[in-house]
Amino acid sequence: MTAVTESVPASASPGKTDPILLAVISNRLDSIVREMENTLLRTGRSGVLNMARDFSCAITTGDNELLSSAEGLPCHIFGAHLMTAAMTELQPDLAEGDAFLHNDPYRGNSHAADHTILIPVFFEGEHLFTTLAKAHQADIGNSEPSTYMPFAKDVYQEGALIFPCVRVQKDYSDVDDIIRMCRARIRVPEQWYGDYLAMVGAARVAEARLKELGERYGRATLKAFIRDWMDYSEDRMAQAIAKLPGGSTVGTGRHDPIPGVLPNGIEITVKLDVDTQERRITVDLRDNIDCIPAGVNESEACTVSNVMAGIFNSLETGIPANSGSFRRIELLLRENCIVGKPRFPHSTSVATTNVGDRLTVTTQKAVADAWAGFGAAEGATGLGPGFSVVSGVDRRTGGEPYVNQVFLGSQGGPAHPDIDGWVTYGLAVAAGLMFRDSIELSELKYPFRVEELRIRTDSEGAGRRRGAPGATVAFGPKWDPMEAAYVTDCVSFPPRGTQGGGSAARNVAFARDTADAEREIVPLGAITLQPGERIGQHSTGGGGYGHPFEREPERVLQDVRLGFVSIERARDVYGVALDGDRPSAALAVDADGTAALRSASR
Amino acid sequence: MAFRISVDTGGTFTDVVITDADGGIHIGKALTTYQRAFDGVSTAVEQVASRLGLSVRELLADTSHFAYGTTRSTNAIVEKKTAVTALFTTAGFPDTLLLREGGRLGGAFSPREFEPPYVPRYLTFEIGERIDSDGTVHQELDESTVISAIRECRRHGVEAIGVSLLWSTVNAAHELAVDRMLAEHMPEVPRTLSHRLNPVLREYRRTSSTVIDASLKPLMQSFLAQLSDDLVAAGFTGRLLISTSYGGSWPVGRMADRPIYSVGSGPSMAPIAALHAGRTTLAEERPNVLVCDTGGTTFDVGLISDGTIHFSADTWLGQKWTGHITGTKSVDVRSIGAGGGSIISVDSSGLVRVGPESAGADPGPACYGRGGIRPTVTDAALVLGYFDPIGFIGGTLSLDVDAARAALQPIADRLGTSVEHAARGALVIASQNIVSAVREMTISQGVDPRDLSIIAGGGASGVNIVQIARELGVGTVVLPKTAGALSAAGALNADLISDFTASAFTTTRSFDAEAAAGALASLAEQAQQFVDEIDSLAPVAVHTQLSVDARYPGQVWELETPVTLKDDGSVDLEALEAAFHAHHLRVFQVNDPSQHVECLIWKRRVTAELDKPAQRVAPAATGDPEPVRVRPVLFAFADAPETPVYDGAALGAGSTIHGPAIILEATTTLVVDPGATVVVAPTSDYIITTGSNDSLGAFAAREGALA
Repeated sequence: MTAVTESVPASASPGKTDPILLAVISNRLDSIVREMENTLLRTGRSGVLNMARDFSCAITTGDNELLSSAEGLPCHIFGAHLMTAAMTELQPDLAEGDAFLHNDPYRGNSHAADHTILIPVFFEGEHLFTTLAKAHQADIGNSEPSTYMPFAKDVYQEGALIFPCVRVQKDYSDVDDIIRMCRARIRVPEQWYGDYLAMVGAARVAEARLKELGERYGRATLKAFIRDWMDYSEDRMAQAIAKLPGGSTVGTGRHDPIPGVLPNGIEITVKLDVDTQERRITVDLRDNIDCIPAGVNESEACTVSNVMAGIFNSLETGIPANSGSFRRIELLLRENCIVGKPRFPHSTSVATTNVGDRLTVTTQKAVADAWAGFGAAEGATGLGPGFSVVSGVDRRTGGEPYVNQVFLGSQGGPAHPDIDGWVTYGLAVAAGLMFRDSIELSELKYPFRVEELRIRTDSEGAGRRRGAPGATVAFGPKWDPMEAAYVTDCVSFPPRGTQGGGSAARNVAFARDTADAEREIVPLGAITLQPGERIGQHSTGGGGYGHPFEREPERVLQDVRLGFVSIERARDVYGVALDGDRPSAALAVDADGTAALRSASR
Repeated sequence: MAFRISVDTGGTFTDVVITDADGGIHIGKALTTYQRAFDGVSTAVEQVASRLGLSVRELLADTSHFAYGTTRSTNAIVEKKTAVTALFTTAGFPDTLLLREGGRLGGAFSPREFEPPYVPRYLTFEIGERIDSDGTVHQELDESTVISAIRECRRHGVEAIGVSLLWSTVNAAHELAVDRMLAEHMPEVPRTLSHRLNPVLREYRRTSSTVIDASLKPLMQSFLAQLSDDLVAAGFTGRLLISTSYGGSWPVGRMADRPIYSVGSGPSMAPIAALHAGRTTLAEERPNVLVCDTGGTTFDVGLISDGTIHFSADTWLGQKWTGHITGTKSVDVRSIGAGGGSIISVDSSGLVRVGPESAGADPGPACYGRGGIRPTVTDAALVLGYFDPIGFIGGTLSLDVDAARAALQPIADRLGTSVEHAARGALVIASQNIVSAVREMTISQGVDPRDLSIIAGGGASGVNIVQIARELGVGTVVLPKTAGALSAAGALNADLISDFTASAFTTTRSFDAEAAAGALASLAEQAQQFVDEIDSLAPVAVHTQLSVDARYPGQVWELETPVTLKDDGSVDLEALEAAFHAHHLRVFQVNDPSQHVECLIWKRRVTAELDKPAQRVAPAATGDPEPVRVRPVLFAFADAPETPVYDGAALGAGSTIHGPAIILEATTTLVVDPGATVVVAPTSDYIITTGSNDSLGAFAAREGALA
């Protein structure tokens, strides 16, 4: 008989987790979060979910540390532990089979439009994990048919139904009172309930998977894993920080004016202190203005998320985004600050985008300005008409009302030290992860026609690495009036470059009348379009990194072939002469002409 | 005629599988020849012919079916050697191929370069016209824009043209008008119309299909014509069948007209071989199977549920969402970046990783002695005792154990452990990476892997397939005798298959019976045309299946739902709704029976069965199997100092081997973990009962008691 000795490398020792097991369990957790995301994407009912992917999933530990967030949106993921902290604080009688609906921006949520389902996962009687599925809703019962209310003076004017982490399922069944409240108030109740089911489904899928994990490895091994995975993540962050030159810097950025509230725009100040000895970063946001009577204040979750996103954008890739790596970053926040902890009842209706975007790009540009080779330029912020919340009635379905956010437009991403900007970036807080709407699918779902969608040539921030260009988009109703609500930024202050890189072209929100005359419209607004009229946007791009004269001429040639950069701009801004007047396969760089241009004007 | 030949031309090797009149299987392998495909084919066929005492000409003359699969089109796309292709698109939308559908893998903090569009912007021409979602013409076709586009195409030396206009699926008039103008003004340039090739909603998918197809036409048309001529010149008079990405075969002419269906056709044949093995070796008429085909760089996975191979319309060339989508329906084979060449590393904070980086075939693993110095999965497997250092790949390659150990030493040092422990850990991670990816793939399709059997092929599959199966909760694994050439073996058993589609949007609440009837009539007509076309290939039976892509109102992703017709030929709506609710519940764990169902694309699949090769029964084993040697092997969770090693060629049907054991095959090595049992089936395939890692303690105790 063959002798066999058992050898289990992945042993459940109480000491340090075996490195093999560390890799195995961390992969498994990411895989579970991806399964949640996939469930939401495929079962979501509203376009915000199933077309744009405006959602995120995460797993936290029972003691409210963020464990895994896989590929969530930057503006969503870093605040998950704040939400679960609210759950354990408010709900001392947590039980198996519970699910909680949470959208309270004063208790850890991003903004009221992001409904979040939290499910505590019990193993052997202990609350070991919480699963979270967060999704932007098409409608949340606001006072106007939009989930973005930049002019809301306070939460009362905003008008959303707020659920401060309330029990929405008990014993795996809906608490019908809560469902009825939502159905009674939300403008598209069927759509909301479809999305609710999708979120619950995603969080329950993860619950089942985590229990399997518990049965496989046992409670003690999982707890040891959590401890060691957090330590590993912290170490990765510490090593990344140690590679920075170190020192202090102050970055300032500016959101566009809020008419009637802040006519000169909103200045954002980010003070960074990088201690390479201690391998820590301190971010001080206290030197910013107080909350304002408008919907653009940051929730605490968005403040934290968006600053963290700016930091992560500035460092090497591959650092796990969890509470372990966050230990190396200290955030100094102030109560009643526009980028801090909001004071009730200030509105945070638009917290996930605009000022939030500015916080991210200001942070990464501060790093880039101070230390060559790190950070990134500014990318597009805010959304604008190409991403309007549209509403009206659809005569094809007997006049049924519709309301949803469209994602037809495209805005450009920032240049990094070695990489050009991402074309379908959208905005800083989504960083290209969201999907775009199909023209055909949109026209099938809504009674409008898209007139145009094309890259906006010469809108990129030039540089050794260039920002991505923006796009032009226009659309309007076919038969009946349509309302479009939108929140544009980068009209007054377009994304800036760094280290000698240029700024992108500014955003232009526009309307076209029935005679095709185009006029610029206010950056923040809601307009009603008559059949034949269109709303649109010449959108902004991303800022550049480094001087455009340092850009390889072959890259400039490729930009011309892509239609991103005109031959004139190649010559005037990049100092690259080409040997023809139209893009083609044969078009080539005129090396002598380029050398002459670059030496003459520098 | 006695023989059937199947050829799979891969990027590096051309595999040939030949069956004779008695069902005997012969395998040949040669380097792929790029200049003329037939040269490589001929070399591989000759290997078999000489063993049979025949010339290539004699063998070909006595061959009834020649099935051909190739990566030619896939490689042409990867190497950017397709035709200079233009796109004619609706004015206002010239960047559809650039912007795609957004999204990207890898999370927010992984900046990288954006892929250019499949057709350059300067070859994208805006055609003045617009059709609305209901098919009404919003703007008439401006012929002058077509004329000027044609003029520009001439100037740029365009070799192929794709025409994809908005809503052509609902009203094709403008695409047809452009087609007529192209036929008149540029008859020599091949073209593809989107509504004909792939009439699906979503302009990016349809447009991408269209331009990829057009770009392959000049190349594939001449390639297929030459192969056909060469075969005839070499004496072949039988039926030539070309493998499709559908997992079926087509006559040459049909492929020349729609070459996009040759993209990925090789891998799509592996599930056919697996289905065949499930039906014969496992004797299940409707098997549930996970198909695993492992090479040096990737682990390809397919699914068969209830005897039906899974399909997907979400196949990308390059990375998902940021590469180029084929947009056509094809056998759902997903590649996981994990193979024998996957590199083992430790990051700066001590986390072990396996892949995605690969040493590939050149330089390959350190133990190949071709200059590779970084440790790979193959090196780890060698250190653990899985391979014979001499006699790897049928004796053509000897392996350097010292080189493998040296490559792994730095990993062991970083982890503060032995080389053996590091090697074992690396294999555990490699298996787990595959297990996670397979779980995501199966569960997202509503399939529980525990309900499946695994059928494995490819040179590297035998190393950890038992471990993968155990981790997935799979109880049975089959390793076919033709595991080393699974795709070529699959094509031998492929049927003639074609899908036909027609677009008609309606809902079950207010069902547009007239539109549906129109779509069904169009499908019937297209299907009949196909049946007429393949008549000369003498199918023994023809089946058709009707389905519709359906969804709940507001959803954007559809589920393919079977359609049954009532006696009067109309759609059975109740059955359709019930089928959809049930399907939705299975795939997504939730459904909403109070909702009605939206119907978009109607489909008719025609399957024409060809007669199959004879099936040989292996001679029964005479006595207990004898190991050729005994050596120490370190399995994933157990050490076995005296593991018997068997020569697979010497095992007869009915032979039973209990793990721990190693079985050597010409093209792969099967690692039989302690607790697993292997039986040789009458088909010569191996059937492995995997056992489980959980029962290991009990197993060790039993072994101890017996010793």
